[in-house]
Amino acid sequence: MVGWGVVGQSLAKIFLSRKRELAKKYGFRPRIVAIVDKKGAAINQKGLDLELMLSLKKEKGTVSASGQYGRPDMSALDVIESVEAEAVVEVSPTNIEDGEPGLSYIKTAFRTGKHVVTTNKGPLALALPALTELADHNKVYLRFSGTVGAGTPVLEFAKNCLQGDRLVSVKGILNGTTNYILSEMDEKHITFDEALTAAQKLGFAEADPTMDVDGYDAAAKLVIMANWIMDRKVTIKDVNIKGIREVSAQNIQDAAKKGCTIKLIGVIGETLKVEPTQISKHDPLAVDGALNAVTFVSESAGEQTIIGLGAGGVETASAVLRDLLDIKQNIANKMMT
Amino acid sequence: MKNIVMKFGGSSVANGKKICHVAKIVADNKNLDCGVVVVVSALEGVTNQLIQAAQEAKKGNSEYVSKFKQELLERHLKTVKEAIKDKQLADDAKKIVEARIGELQQVLTGIGYVGELTPKSRDTVISFGERLSAPIVSGAIKDLGLNSEHLTGGEAGIATDSNFGEAGLLMNVTKFQLKKNIEPLLKKGTVPVVTGFIAETQNKETTTLGRGGSDYTATIVGAAIEADEVWIWTDVDGLMTADPKIVPEAKTIHELSFQEATELTIFGAKAMHPRALEPARKEGIPVRIRNVFSPDNTGTLIVKEQTAKTENGVKAVTIVKNVAVITVSGAGMVGAPGTAAKVFEVLGKENINILMISQSVSEANISLVIQRNLLERAVNTLEIALLGRDFIREIVSEDDVCVVAVLGAGMKGIPGVASRIFTAVAKEGINVRMIAQGSSELNVSFIVKEADGNETVRAIHTEFKLNKK
Repeated sequence: MVGWGVVGQSLAKIFLSRKRELAKKYGFRPRIVAIVDKKGAAINQKGLDLELMLSLKKEKGTVSASGQYGRPDMSALDVIESVEAEAVVEVSPTNIEDGEPGLSYIKTAFRTGKHVVTTNKGPLALALPALTELADHNKVYLRFSGTVGAGTPVLEFAKNCLQGDRLVSVKGILNGTTNYILSEMDEKHITFDEALTAAQKLGFAEADPTMDVDGYDAAAKLVIMANWIMDRKVTIKDVNIKGIREVSAQNIQDAAKKGCTIKLIGVIGETLKVEPTQISKHDPLAVDGALNAVTFVSESAGEQTIIGLGAGGVETASAVLRDLLDIKQNIANKMMT
Repeated sequence: MKNIVMKFGGSSVANGKKICHVAKIVADNKNLDCGVVVVVSALEGVTNQLIQAAQEAKKGNSEYVSKFKQELLERHLKTVKEAIKDKQLADDAKKIVEARIGELQQVLTGIGYVGELTPKSRDTVISFGERLSAPIVSGAIKDLGLNSEHLTGGEAGIATDSNFGEAGLLMNVTKFQLKKNIEPLLKKGTVPVVTGFIAETQNKETTTLGRGGSDYTATIVGAAIEADEVWIWTDVDGLMTADPKIVPEAKTIHELSFQEATELTIFGAKAMHPRALEPARKEGIPVRIRNVFSPDNTGTLIVKEQTAKTENGVKAVTIVKNVAVITVSGAGMVGAPGTAAKVFEVLGKENINILMISQSVSEANISLVIQRNLLERAVNTLEIALLGRDFIREIVSEDDVCVVAVLGAGMKGIPGVASRIFTAVAKEGINVRMIAQGSSELNVSFIVKEADGNETVRAIHTEFKLNKK
């Protein structure tokens, strides 16, 4: 487990609370053999005591404070390289400039024969075709459901449920923070700044909200969808990005008069773009609060919209769990044939 | 700004004087506001010498190895001296050459100690050819006042699997890495000089690309950075309508499609390996074959969509010598499914490649064309495996034949091309022994007696007025 923030800890809590069910229903008995946080690592090849790891983080700020298993000297790369494991769960923070250090973590995991489940959008937005090729080459799986829509199975829906059909376009609200801000502006008739401050207070927006409000987060997700679902070899540099900073209260009120609202919508059509767009309040995409919504337009099956929470530790952890189960089942199938 | 990838082969960088010439070509184009990436082969002959040295090293012939090392060092130092005037630049190149040859000597010594030459160590040894030429070429470019940097294929970002000797490309990884490493250099106006032919695995082990070699590297780089064109500099004017030794009035072909170029290279035009065209074809990046000794000549342009249509569709006529025909016949083959498969399977197991196949609809016989030097082995194998069974009566061979191939995508759908070909041949009193045309209609291949080969080529060349284009 690389990264011991809210997603990693949520996953550990699921492992603890649903231990018997996971074993019984899915034959899944996960052992976390190493955890890396910002200050070091904890390693136990037999499986770490997760309750202890959770409390260490709370009390001492790092899992490396564990006397017996703590390794403050080891970096994430050392751990990925040297520890024996089936899979690496890579939940380190997103960097969309160069994808690092997540990109190196994933490459190292592949090189040492480990499957990867990641929630990190940076490496994928920059190098998804390269990473899927590298995974194939090393005969391991790369899964990243949690990167788009958190727990909402947006990627799986399009990839698996629309098999055989041809996707014409995809459009959607891919960022919960901006949707919350825009919804608040619409409902309470407040300005962008007021809504942002409120969102920050409630923990819906980061102290530095650039990734969200300037559209980068939505663009990264758009790129992942374009590559994975539509086989378009694009990177974030191919997306026209416009954030919501310039959306005024007046804009929203004007839209409201016409029965419309303004949402930050990402579109994969001829080109890729993310921009504030006026849509009807009856459009299935017109969801409120921190929700995400994605509409798939396919040639035969028509339009479908999938709606769900687009952020949150537990939600994202559920996507990681899904990916791990998928990998487990794939390996098991291979071994049994 | 246009970006051009230029590949220079071993004969273009055979010595210091030639390297100066190469540097000048690069500088001239750079000054036309082009971004240039150079892909360079080893100095002429060096790759073969390295292979030889590796084999000698394996036998423990340390005398040979040390003599080889000395000669290699002297040749490269002499090349540095001739290619780079500036003292500081020459000194830098000299240091790199010395260090790398020192490293090579250690590798060869190691091979000698172990007494084993694995494909992996062989790749490492071979890579020194390009690793020695690239810094010299880069130095010569700097000598003309440009910025330049030399990189190995691996450093540039070319990633492969670990199938040493003929490594498989990881194209998406390669594209990502090349973009990341090469584009910033181009933006700064630097000329990257990349070693051709060599690459590396994710564990940083040196690999070689095998067939296609440095040309392959050039088209890979071109595809990755979405270059405007890839220029393959060689010592001929481009692809020709026929071998000028046979047809003195043969002309350079100005433009042809990737498909045609592939056919042409398969049929013996030495310019490029079909595999090397693949990356450029996929991305639709034009490839130009140019003559380093007449840089004013625009050479042959290979493109996805041709602009100029040729009037009668035929682009070139080539000849493949040193082949033989085997004919397997027997009434029992008629209507017996799997007969052809058996013939091919037997030959395949013996590693005998079949160049051309023809079977009449009566199915009473199948004719195959193979390399002549494999004829005895092929006949023996077929006789042992198939004679004495009911369905095969006879296996006969002819070894005094050659394949003549007439190529051109424009032949497709134009009636009468075949008739013109065979009428022209018949007028010369030449007998056609066997004919094959793929349904792609890109080429018509047929067999004539080898003694009639050259005359056949000339007759067709004249019939389609290939000398007038």
